[in-house]
Amino acid sequence: MNASGIKFGLGVYTALFIVFLYGPLVVLAILSFQTGPEGGPQFPIIEWSTYWYKHLFGLTPPSRIAPLPIDQALFRSLALAVMTMIVSTVLGVTAAQAFRKKFRGSGVIFYLIVLGMMVPGVLVGLGMALVANTLGIDRHWWGTAFVLHVVYTFPFAFLVMLAIFNRFDPSVEEAAWSLGVPPARTFRKITFPLIFPGVLSAMLFAFTLSYDEFSRTLFASGRDLTLPLAIYGTFSVEVHPNVFAFGVLTTLFSFALLGTYAVLMGLSVRRAKRMAIQEEA
Amino acid sequence: MIFDLELKSVGKVYDNGTPAVIDFNLSVTKGEFIAFLGPSGCGKTTTLRMIAGFEGISSGDMLIRGERMNDVPPQRRPTSMIFQNYALFPHMTVRQNVGYGLDVKGMARSERDAKVDRILATLGLEDIASRKPDKLSGGQRQRIALARGLVVEPDILLLDEPLGALDANLRKAIQNELKLLQKSLGVTFIFVTHAQSEALALSDRIVVMNQGRVEQVSPPHQLYTRPNTPFVAQFIGRNTVLSGEVAGNEGEDVVVTTGIGTLSGRANGAVAHKGRVNLVVPAEAIEVHVADEVTAPGAKNRVDARIERSEVVGHIAHLTARLDDGRSVSLEAHVDKYRPGTFPAGTPVFLSWNPAEATVIPAN
Repeated sequence: MNASGIKFGLGVYTALFIVFLYGPLVVLAILSFQTGPEGGPQFPIIEWSTYWYKHLFGLTPPSRIAPLPIDQALFRSLALAVMTMIVSTVLGVTAAQAFRKKFRGSGVIFYLIVLGMMVPGVLVGLGMALVANTLGIDRHWWGTAFVLHVVYTFPFAFLVMLAIFNRFDPSVEEAAWSLGVPPARTFRKITFPLIFPGVLSAMLFAFTLSYDEFSRTLFASGRDLTLPLAIYGTFSVEVHPNVFAFGVLTTLFSFALLGTYAVLMGLSVRRAKRMAIQEEA
Repeated sequence: MIFDLELKSVGKVYDNGTPAVIDFNLSVTKGEFIAFLGPSGCGKTTTLRMIAGFEGISSGDMLIRGERMNDVPPQRRPTSMIFQNYALFPHMTVRQNVGYGLDVKGMARSERDAKVDRILATLGLEDIASRKPDKLSGGQRQRIALARGLVVEPDILLLDEPLGALDANLRKAIQNELKLLQKSLGVTFIFVTHAQSEALALSDRIVVMNQGRVEQVSPPHQLYTRPNTPFVAQFIGRNTVLSGEVAGNEGEDVVVTTGIGTLSGRANGAVAHKGRVNLVVPAEAIEVHVADEVTAPGAKNRVDARIERSEVVGHIAHLTARLDDGRSVSLEAHVDKYRPGTFPAGTPVFLSWNPAEATVIPAN
């Protein structure tokens, strides 16, 4: 095959990839503009409308379709994701820092940490529920479920940071020590700024994984539902396009999150540049 | 007398049991320029890192200005290290890089700025002071690293192959600068290199290391002309090492019976030589004669050989000759003396040297 043929093939492949990636999302997005309340979650579109978006926010006249029970659940999921993100990232950074030097049992501990992301979620959730019952601990999203979210996301943060430290040149730290900078300050002022892009990535991982988490949370969260559980709960009755409308909004939220990540990255680069200019003045 | 640096029987054994440095002894006076020279893996960088405090010392003692340093962490040692890759802080400007060691000391801003300005001027870095290091050339980054290491006024500056990443011309220029800087500041420099030309050109004394041990500590000229061990003889210069047995003495000369005849050289220092020895003959000391030339009266060192290869580089002719025992010998001669074509391959010749220029050392 000639070069242009290969190029064409790769182009088709990429296009197909994007179709499979975004296709379902696009279908949902289109159906979310179905008319309501009589329109269902299927083609054809009877009439274009923003009814289901209004329905989400309780702006439509009462009908037989109950509003999505998401306001509390959304708050819980966001709070849980933020808590998980902070704890997992701190654990991930410090654990990866510890793993830069070999220590006794480091091999075993590595696999124990990574196990957290490999064991089936349903089993861990169920196990947690059993342990909590046996010990008489109440199950809460901010307690038992939070612990499981950390166990699940910490390995991701840890592996991201491990990769970052792998490419990190330790002689920069040694140079600082040899200039008289104590190790703690070296970590804050030299190491941390250099690994910060990695820390941001670890945070993003931990947040999105926790925000989405279903199987572990199912058994471990107790009475109060997180967002994925609440949405799944509505499926058991009947699916209405209001779920799609909500899906579109959360996807937009995720994009906003990615945007924030990009802006933060850009800022950390720009701030360094600005500091340089101030120094010059 | 208080030395700037004393290493007393210093040893390093890695966690897996491999010895990296064995029984290292050295005393360095203030303002000396010392080179650690040896092949890679000989322990020279490990020794430097022990002095800096990055590696623990397994046995022996290390003192800086009379103070024991074995358990002092790197940030509290009066040393400063220059790395082969410079290890500049990429998120800081040149000025911030250089001033960082002073910031940490809690120095007043005005005093810090004055010191930074002075060292930037000394090394010609004023114009790029507000730039980031990653946009700068290798030579510039090298100077920034030097400025950063020197501005904190260390007792000892440690340099780990600082010229290794530069191209040949730049290396030569910075080499000269480094020497001048060191002399003008009077700071003790410990310089690790695997390039003998650097060590010979720069240092007051050279420590030759091999497989974790110190082979010889000598000023460059002495190291070059009077190697102490077979390793040094092979590693420094272009020497031919002939093994043999001491037959006796003739005045200052030691006569050695070798497989290719009875030859003579000078004993090295006070070492008494008996039994098996090595005779070290530098390439520059060997004279080449056409085989039918009449032997000059009193020329004892006469070895028959056959020219195998001749190659002229600049004004130096590099000849390779094969001896009767099959060994090949490197020779060097000025081209004005031996014009190219004088000794085509296959020419039978004899080689001779002045006994004073050859050295008798113990056998391996």
